[in-house]
Amino acid sequence: MTQDPPPRRKVDRDEVFVEFTKSICPMCKTPVDAQVNLRDNKVYLRKRCRAHGEFEALVYGDAEEYLASARFNKPGTIPLTFQTEVKDGCPSDCGLCPEHKQHACLGIIEVNTGCNLDCPICFADSGRRRDGYSITHEQCARMLDAFVASEGEAEVVMFSGGEPTLHKHILDFIDLALARPIRNVTLNTNGIRLATDKNFVAELGKRNRAPGRSVNIYLQFDGFDERTHREIRGRDLRAFKQRALDNCAEAGLTATLVAAVERGLNEHELGAVVEYGIDHPAVRSVVFQPVTHSGRHTPFDPLTRLTNPDVVRLIGEQRPDWFRKGDFFPVPCCFPTCRSLTYVLVDGEPGARTVVPIPRLLDVEEHLDYVTNRVLPDARVREALEKLWSASAFMATETTDAKLRATAEALDCADTCGIDLPEAVKDLSDKAFMIVVQDFQDPYTLNVKQLMKCCVEEITPDGRLIPFCAYNSVGYREQVRADMSGVPVAGVVPNALPLADRLADTAHGSRTLRPDTVAATAEQTP
Amino acid sequence: MTGRAAPSGPPGDELKTCCADAYSSDAVALLLGDSYHPGGTALTRHLADVLGLAEGSRVLDVASGRGTTALLLAGTYRVHVDGVDYAPANTALAQDAARAAGLAGRAAFTTGDSEQLPYPDAVFDAAVCECALCTFPDKARAAAEFARVLKPGGRLGLTDVTADPARLPAELTGLAARIACVADARPLDEYAAILAGAGLRTVRTERHDQAMVRMLDQIEARLQLLRMTAAGRLTEAGVDLDAAPAVLAAARAAVTAGTLGYALLIAEKPESCSPG
Repeated sequence: MTQDPPPRRKVDRDEVFVEFTKSICPMCKTPVDAQVNLRDNKVYLRKRCRAHGEFEALVYGDAEEYLASARFNKPGTIPLTFQTEVKDGCPSDCGLCPEHKQHACLGIIEVNTGCNLDCPICFADSGRRRDGYSITHEQCARMLDAFVASEGEAEVVMFSGGEPTLHKHILDFIDLALARPIRNVTLNTNGIRLATDKNFVAELGKRNRAPGRSVNIYLQFDGFDERTHREIRGRDLRAFKQRALDNCAEAGLTATLVAAVERGLNEHELGAVVEYGIDHPAVRSVVFQPVTHSGRHTPFDPLTRLTNPDVVRLIGEQRPDWFRKGDFFPVPCCFPTCRSLTYVLVDGEPGARTVVPIPRLLDVEEHLDYVTNRVLPDARVREALEKLWSASAFMATETTDAKLRATAEALDCADTCGIDLPEAVKDLSDKAFMIVVQDFQDPYTLNVKQLMKCCVEEITPDGRLIPFCAYNSVGYREQVRADMSGVPVAGVVPNALPLADRLADTAHGSRTLRPDTVAATAEQTP
Repeated sequence: MTGRAAPSGPPGDELKTCCADAYSSDAVALLLGDSYHPGGTALTRHLADVLGLAEGSRVLDVASGRGTTALLLAGTYRVHVDGVDYAPANTALAQDAARAAGLAGRAAFTTGDSEQLPYPDAVFDAAVCECALCTFPDKARAAAEFARVLKPGGRLGLTDVTADPARLPAELTGLAARIACVADARPLDEYAAILAGAGLRTVRTERHDQAMVRMLDQIEARLQLLRMTAAGRLTEAGVDLDAAPAVLAAARAAVTAGTLGYALLIAEKPESCSPG
């Protein structure tokens, strides 16, 4: 007698499917369909390339917050001009094309590819090799004009590289920017020249005193352990960082500390970086960026990479007296999952600080809810908070100071309750400190939905404005470098552990497809 | 509700005046912001949603403060709202706010006692009372008044502090009442029992303890801000800055221990009202 096999039973999937979107193959950069799934209260992006197979990456460490943040998605603003046409669809038409959903809050000009460091982690694949390019005076003027044509009055332009302080015309470039309707300039630097060339720092300080304008320093600053410096920068730069900041303070320059954060390297130093920043007179803000796995970087696991909620959680764990869940708030101008930030008010002496996050004083959520908020909140408070919770917010600019004042006035209820807070609270900008967490997308995590609303743009020498994450992920960076330098540039592939046996080194230390992998691809492609 | 103002024995009107005074005093307004209850306007919206307020219906807001909730309901849900508050200063401010919002036609404010509501029987489709029943000395009487002014089938939406008075730490039975009004709060099932005694049948309850934690965070942050900028004024307004940290810490611990929290409750007046 034969027995019937047991009846087959249907089983549930172990994930919740929440989005169908587009991404790219991290190997050949071909646009592919993608899906976003939730597992264990985390958010994953999964996609499949017909030539290179399936890829999956963690994109947000808190599924509940990912879904809740949809309410904080501000309607985009249409830029004055577009530079390209819609032809092949996102992300192949950058940019900006007329389908782009947001104007440029921040424009970036990379003035060179050369650097005085060869950091093991560098999304720009910069270094000491002399096979790159530097932009000319005319090119810089054209790039700034393209930005102004698109923005009218622009809030902020960032000069980056390479190492922009090595460009012999960098001060002229800053002057070109300040001569245009661009309110603020920020200089993205490793700080070596700031530490060693006081005349240069004084020149920057002079430009920072132009009425209504500011020049700020965006200083690479990853932590305090020697290992952190050696593994991320290839060199112990601690003394340089300290001297650079001291020189900035002396010249009246305001600095932002910018940390690239990598799992297993410096994720334990976030609280210390915040505290150091609060204590240093030149520093008014800190930016944490989970390492962008574009360009050159150490091997990583896409499924356990750091995301914004992970960084926010670590900050809270490392300074529990200062931060709790809910103190950071998503930025509505870009896609709300791209960037979260907070402002804190600081009082007291080093070692005995009182730190008060502004979102605890004021219900930011009430003002920046664009979906369920059916009664419009106070328009002035909303406008102030929109400017503060923005990719264009930099400390010690006239705009940020004014909006912090407006926020302080919202806290001050003299009209309704009779307590007139003294002037001190109206000048909260002196006590205010900004902390930003920004997870840039890479070829693994790229979600076209987010890219279409990106408000941080790379300005190219031919006058295009390309969303930063598209520039780094889709192949635009390699194209621009090849065009500008005349030296062929290999397509860069993330140094992800699951791809290890299919990759080879490029001339710049990043990774590219192994030649035999390329051949196999060609055979499979119809 | 401070030791001086709330003598032992039946507190009655004196306590009501004191609590209303506390709520309309500047320091409390500053500490607790526009929306005096945990959960803020987000929880108010949720309350309105679960009440299912129909456009054009008539709603009573008991302890309406400066009118934040009443104006939100009138503006968003397009209902007619009567707000009643024990503090004349609040009534005046709420009336001003209604005029400023262009809602004076749909939101009216009166000074009155929750234990003797100045409205006829069975006129309201719904009533809301946020973070206030806990402060009323005679809760059964207030519940009977809610029942009286509701139409048969009408619903009461309540959000309030829940507390197990026997297990509350000492810090939360005195001065803290002024900050968080917890001293006379009751457990959730006791609120339901008080309402049942007035003939109101509880049809839904929800716990919102996290809203209490967030409000404690907000109070603490505002105290810190004031300490930074205006410590003298806080003292003038009667807020004991030195006592505040211990009170807040005790409140946090009580929320964690489950002896202090915040809850939402919906109760219904039966269609056929029993006589009496």
